[in-house]
Amino acid sequence: MTLVKPNSPLYTKQGLWSLFLMCVLPLHFWTLILAFRDLSWLIDRSNLWDAITVASYGMVFAFVESMLIFLIAILLGFLVPKYWDYQHRTALLSILVIITALWAMVDQLFALLNVSLPGGLLYFIAQQGHPLRVLYIIALLLVAPTVLIPTCLILKSDKVFKMVRGLIGRFTLLAAFYLLFDVIGLIIVVIRNV
Amino acid sequence: MKNKFNRRDFIKLAGLMPFSMMAPRLEKVIGSPQPLSGQNKNVLVIVFDAFSAYHVSMYGYQRETTPNLAKLAERAVIYHNHYAGGNFTTPGTASLLTGTLPWSHRAFEAKATVAPQYVTRNFFSAFEDYYRIAYTHNGWANILLEQFHAQMSELVPWESLFLRPYFGFVLDMFGKDIDNAMVAWTRNVDIKQYGYSYSLFLSQFYEVLKEQRYATLNKEFPRGIPSTGFADNDFLLENATDWVGKKLPNIPQPFLGYFHFLPPHGPYNTPLEFIGRFGHDGYKPINKPVDVFSENRSYADLLERRIEYDEYLLYVDREFGRLFNYLETAGLMENTWLVLTSDHGEMFERGISGHSTNALYQPVIRIPLLIFEPGRKTSMDIYTRTSAVDVLPTLAHLTGHQIPDWTEGVLLPPYAPTSPDPNRSIYVVEANRNDGSIPLTRASTVIVRGGYKLLYYFGYKEREIDELIRLFNIETDPEELIDLYASQKDIADELLKELKSKLDEVNRPYLK
Repeated sequence: MTLVKPNSPLYTKQGLWSLFLMCVLPLHFWTLILAFRDLSWLIDRSNLWDAITVASYGMVFAFVESMLIFLIAILLGFLVPKYWDYQHRTALLSILVIITALWAMVDQLFALLNVSLPGGLLYFIAQQGHPLRVLYIIALLLVAPTVLIPTCLILKSDKVFKMVRGLIGRFTLLAAFYLLFDVIGLIIVVIRNV
Repeated sequence: MKNKFNRRDFIKLAGLMPFSMMAPRLEKVIGSPQPLSGQNKNVLVIVFDAFSAYHVSMYGYQRETTPNLAKLAERAVIYHNHYAGGNFTTPGTASLLTGTLPWSHRAFEAKATVAPQYVTRNFFSAFEDYYRIAYTHNGWANILLEQFHAQMSELVPWESLFLRPYFGFVLDMFGKDIDNAMVAWTRNVDIKQYGYSYSLFLSQFYEVLKEQRYATLNKEFPRGIPSTGFADNDFLLENATDWVGKKLPNIPQPFLGYFHFLPPHGPYNTPLEFIGRFGHDGYKPINKPVDVFSENRSYADLLERRIEYDEYLLYVDREFGRLFNYLETAGLMENTWLVLTSDHGEMFERGISGHSTNALYQPVIRIPLLIFEPGRKTSMDIYTRTSAVDVLPTLAHLTGHQIPDWTEGVLLPPYAPTSPDPNRSIYVVEANRNDGSIPLTRASTVIVRGGYKLLYYFGYKEREIDELIRLFNIETDPEELIDLYASQKDIADELLKELKSKLDEVNRPYLK
């Protein structure tokens, strides 16, 4: 499949839907994991019904956040050269959303699993004149390849592009399932507020 | 002689009707103890949430946590053995406000409301001729205040003394289910507290906004701005103090004011000026044996939490001092009964931190009670065991009101016409998993009589506790280190028999 297609639309309905579902997927996945993790203390705090309600609010908030990320992704898409094929544009944006979300998860996992950076690394950073600057540089060195390499591969390799599309196709099914949770969550939230 | 009952006789008798209707009321007035003093004086009840008497220097705590209070108490009646009705906001506050124990008002569970008969039987209905104003930072206490709203002249909205939130829409949109909405919103955006949150991106954005907005306050409160623990629920106790101090001189008198402030309830976010005050004082509390209801918190962790709580108490103490100053400057202390108390305590021992526990040891149920009598210049120490349910009838009596017949409390010394009953039993009830509409089947209960305290736990199936009984002599062993249940079985049996009989009595109306 060629990267450049003259007169290719910026987005198609199908492309936007799949991009939206790619925004839904990581955010809902993370919310659900933490909501399940919270169930026991929430039940302990009040009762099971309240615990389910809190998880429902969580899903509704995750939906709103997904919409915001989706809008940002669409806007980012305008930065991509207009002559790009819409399928490549959507695949690229979807992968960017997923990678960014994965890094955000890694960031939170440190606290969740109570893991801290190696003592030696922290000592090294602390010894520098501008420790925060060093930390940012290290983070950039780690993050940049994970964004740049997949981006290049999508653009250069047809095989990778097809693989990414296949992956997106499978994930969208799961993400659509999460939307069902959102609907249930919304119903519960409405019931609790009437 | 005319025996016929004519129209004129009927009119004469009808004229007596208003008097006959007043008769029962008059009988009650004549029959009740006469107020000693203070008719038409204002009543101001200040509640600091989770304020444990165990941590108050005036009550013997080793750290000087309440220097201002100690000074002001030179003009107060100080109750040294005062007990809350329950161990957390809902039952504790409901007991104070209704003058009944949790097994009567039935607000056992978190966010519960009192049984329907107490909606019109509470502090506010007892002072119906007063201007009645109330406020609380505490959402669960606010649920109760809203239930009593019809008996009040003014219920100050819960959110009005919070710092203006960025995301006020949570309050606006989910007002009918605010507690759950707040918990969910907090778990979504508050990444600072635990380092993780439901939201992957919004939480980061929220933190940046919050950091920018509260840059100055963050320096003043390095542990975090005081809050209910929820996102967008930040407040400053000094704002509440100022608000109350300025409001009270401008409301109609006599008034009944109920102000329930959240500190020293966690999170223990004390100002910078108090941080480090107790961190290196070398105080090592007794390392008590781990309890069956332990949360497995280490001794070191409990020490750390205790330091933070004690340092937060300094903030409470400072603000109470400021409030007192406001009242005095406004001349209100000359005609106001000021009561300082709490809804429950807090504990940092036996592997347990806080108050959400089934273990009812002294730090979690013994609370301060100080009554500042109008014009009193000397202190008075009362060692009689008293209960939160005594506050309502006592204040009603002191202000010339009818003592409600539904309260379960007695008049507090020294205001009672007779000496305190040395054999009076004090009860505390915790039944957080027990619906109010069914009999008590899973609860922690306490009976204190004489120098003994018996703890009776039952129905904790998840911990394989069918029944668990402990007996302590709190006069000779105030730290509750020696369980006397096996060695003083006769005393334990007597107390247990009384407690079980009481449980049978309170359960009876709820048996199907």
